[in-house]
Amino acid sequence: MDGYLGGYASLGLLLIAAALLFVVAFGANRLLSPRNPSGAKTTTYECGIDPVPGDWAQAQIRYYVFAYLYVLFAVESVFLFPWAMVFDRPGFGVVTLVEMGVFIAVLALGLLYAWRKGVLRWT
Amino acid sequence: MADVTTGEQIVFWILAPVALGGAIGMVAARNAVHSALFLVCTMLSLGVFYVVQAGAFIGVVQVIVYTGAIMMLFLFVLMLVGRDASDSLIEVLRGQRMAAIVLGIGFAGLTATGLARGLGEVETEGLEAVNAVGNVPAIAAELFTHYVFAFEITSALLITAALGAMVLAHIERRKGERLTQRERSRARFAPGNYPAPKAGPGVFATSDSVATPALLPDRTIAERSLTDVVRIRELTAAEARPKGTDRR
Amino acid sequence: MEELHLPPIDYAAIAPLLLVFGAGCVGVLVEAFVPRAWRYRVQVPLLLAGLVAALIALISVADKRVSTAGGALAIDGPALFLQGGLVALGIVSVLLIAERRVERGGAFVAQASVVAGTDSDRRQSSQPGATEVYPLTAFALGGMMLFCAANDLVTMFVALEVFSLPLYLLCALARRRRLLSQEASVKYFLLGAFSSAFFLYGVALLYGFAGTMSFTGLREAAAEAGSEDTLLFLGIAMLSVGLLFKAAMVPFHVWTPDVYQGAPTPVTGMMAACTKLAAFGGILRVFTVGFADINLDWEPILIAVAIATMLVGAVMAVTQTDIKRLLAYSSIANAGYVFTGVLALSEEGVAGTMFYLVAYGFTVLAAFAVVTLVRDADGEATHLSRWAGLGRRSPLFAGLFTVLMLAFAGIPLTSGFTSKFAVFSAALGADQVTLVIVGLISSAVLAFPYLRVVVLMYLSEPAEDTPTVSLPGVFTSLALVIGLVATIGLGVVPGPVLELAEQASSFIG
Repeated sequence: MDGYLGGYASLGLLLIAAALLFVVAFGANRLLSPRNPSGAKTTTYECGIDPVPGDWAQAQIRYYVFAYLYVLFAVESVFLFPWAMVFDRPGFGVVTLVEMGVFIAVLALGLLYAWRKGVLRWT
Repeated sequence: MADVTTGEQIVFWILAPVALGGAIGMVAARNAVHSALFLVCTMLSLGVFYVVQAGAFIGVVQVIVYTGAIMMLFLFVLMLVGRDASDSLIEVLRGQRMAAIVLGIGFAGLTATGLARGLGEVETEGLEAVNAVGNVPAIAAELFTHYVFAFEITSALLITAALGAMVLAHIERRKGERLTQRERSRARFAPGNYPAPKAGPGVFATSDSVATPALLPDRTIAERSLTDVVRIRELTAAEARPKGTDRR
Repeated sequence: MEELHLPPIDYAAIAPLLLVFGAGCVGVLVEAFVPRAWRYRVQVPLLLAGLVAALIALISVADKRVSTAGGALAIDGPALFLQGGLVALGIVSVLLIAERRVERGGAFVAQASVVAGTDSDRRQSSQPGATEVYPLTAFALGGMMLFCAANDLVTMFVALEVFSLPLYLLCALARRRRLLSQEASVKYFLLGAFSSAFFLYGVALLYGFAGTMSFTGLREAAAEAGSEDTLLFLGIAMLSVGLLFKAAMVPFHVWTPDVYQGAPTPVTGMMAACTKLAAFGGILRVFTVGFADINLDWEPILIAVAIATMLVGAVMAVTQTDIKRLLAYSSIANAGYVFTGVLALSEEGVAGTMFYLVAYGFTVLAAFAVVTLVRDADGEATHLSRWAGLGRRSPLFAGLFTVLMLAFAGIPLTSGFTSKFAVFSAALGADQVTLVIVGLISSAVLAFPYLRVVVLMYLSEPAEDTPTVSLPGVFTSLALVIGLVATIGLGVVPGPVLELAEQASSFIG
């Protein structure tokens, strides 16, 4: 439990425990629950409105902007993550704050632009 | 070459088949969304590989950016283009596909053999020294000193992309182009417009789907029940049959 | 915890870059906060002021030869000369982009997100064009300036992307023939993304080879390794694919005609002038700083590329029937001529290349400016048959275009002659006789389509439907005058600029 990989061992154990919990819960459900399959139960709705042909609808291009804005900030977080680990180094203080400030300010311009164009308002 | 620890071996032998299976599944899957999910599987495995090989930063980036953000864009584009969309199989240039396959395999072979030759007996060098302060801080130290200009300019790239997404995907309505509630209301009750909702399927209809038009007493279709969004559909006999939900 | 220190940054030396990027950022703010009716009137002066300020800043630091920002940027002679050329050509491009008289509302669509051919698309046909093009242009020019000054592979790659992305976008914004424009943009984007991937792969391999990203470090590592290293050569090959794609060299040229034809003509002009200049700026630095010591290994392949570029460009230009495609193939052939200057691998070659790029840029911008003026009811009439008899209808513009065509063909007393002379003599000085011979043959072939256009304009009877030449607005007139003055000026008295290029021809590091 030491060395480079040791640090990740607890994470691995957690993942294994989570997978086990999942398997046990669903397995128990499967074993214990009564089951009476019939054709009617497999229809989309047992009552109410019949579904219209396809099960797939085309997404609107305008939602792409939201997807894109998310990517923008995901990429920003990639830079923030290493920055958070060095910004308190001796001799580096204010400079690095300014560096990151400029970067985020420029990105914020993009968000500002999107906001002024009314993308962020849900209509 | 550095010794491979047991832990690393275990992780490798568990995840390598997963990564490879995901890659094969991505190519083989009929459904484009399944393909994308297989790709996610491969990418996550790769992310773990990076972490295991002492590249914590690239592992995290792989998960946050590729598996998170980029794959989301992938799925988005799939939903946009259509899950069922497929390429036309007509070759515009005769023999192009064959040539592309031959050249592609040739290029892959050339690169692979070249890399195998170039990297076959390369020792890892300086990895411990670089990672002495930790992988992420070491990268950060480079990024915010030597490559600070490239880093700042990346923001110009991102803002360009934001502008581009807005220009190409966002329709801006001018003031006055968007109808107000009052205008909508007036239009609804204006002469010539039928203010009530469209008629439902009605007593004689064989189904209550929105795709089924209402029938008038003489079994003709009620025009008013049709929308131009949903295609009219005749139900098959099997679909129109009682579903038997009343029986046990 | 060891101490970290920001490397010293020479702000005066990078002021031109910062000014152009700053103009772009302010442009985005203008888009966000200035009322729509005022945006055009604010954006155009803002961008022009930014570029003029950058030009002044460049002149004031013209004697600087420093490597700054931790060695990431080399502000040396070639970088400053090329940046100066970029800003000057950029100003002319912006003049063309800002023109709103020739076509009501300008060459750009009001809202690119409206589906082409729908009712709302027809409704927006009379609205003024999108003003986002100005910040996009600023970012593109800034990226190109950075590309010429980047002194390591990472900065170069970021710069490559910064100037490519706005260009992909600008290509899609034509007001007329929108589907063609969008198709051009998608083609450019997909192929450009591929070429960037190649570039990046090359960067990775070169880093694996040398353990450093800087060109000087690469040069030292390459000199040490000798000629047997697979990683080095795969790396150079992949890097070259990315660079040659941007410069539109054979066999990475196939996107050029389609994109040049589909893009809005002012953007096409900018791509032919500025993008080409920036791409060659990068190529010059990579091959003369990074890999000059091991030139025997890659030179034969690149000579073959240059020969293929000159021949394919010239021969394909002969068969074209559309003026924009003709100019596209001519730009491919011209990339071949520029490349002979690069392959001379001497300071004379660097000077000749830089002179050629600037001279060609002004001429090609003026040529595309004329293309924007020849119109009928459907917009620009680009098919060559429509140009028949234009000389009788509008002798002034036909005459102007004739001068530009003669310059392309390399007739003495035009910049085409002096610039070709500069690169070919440099190539001869470096014993590249084959290249020069092929270059001369190619020029002779290429003269044919140019002269055919001239003959078509003067010796054919104007047809009923011969398009009229629109009266240019102030901006286009200015661009035309600048282009014409530069074309003739650099042909008659090339001395000062050529001297400037020679003084600026040595790289640092």
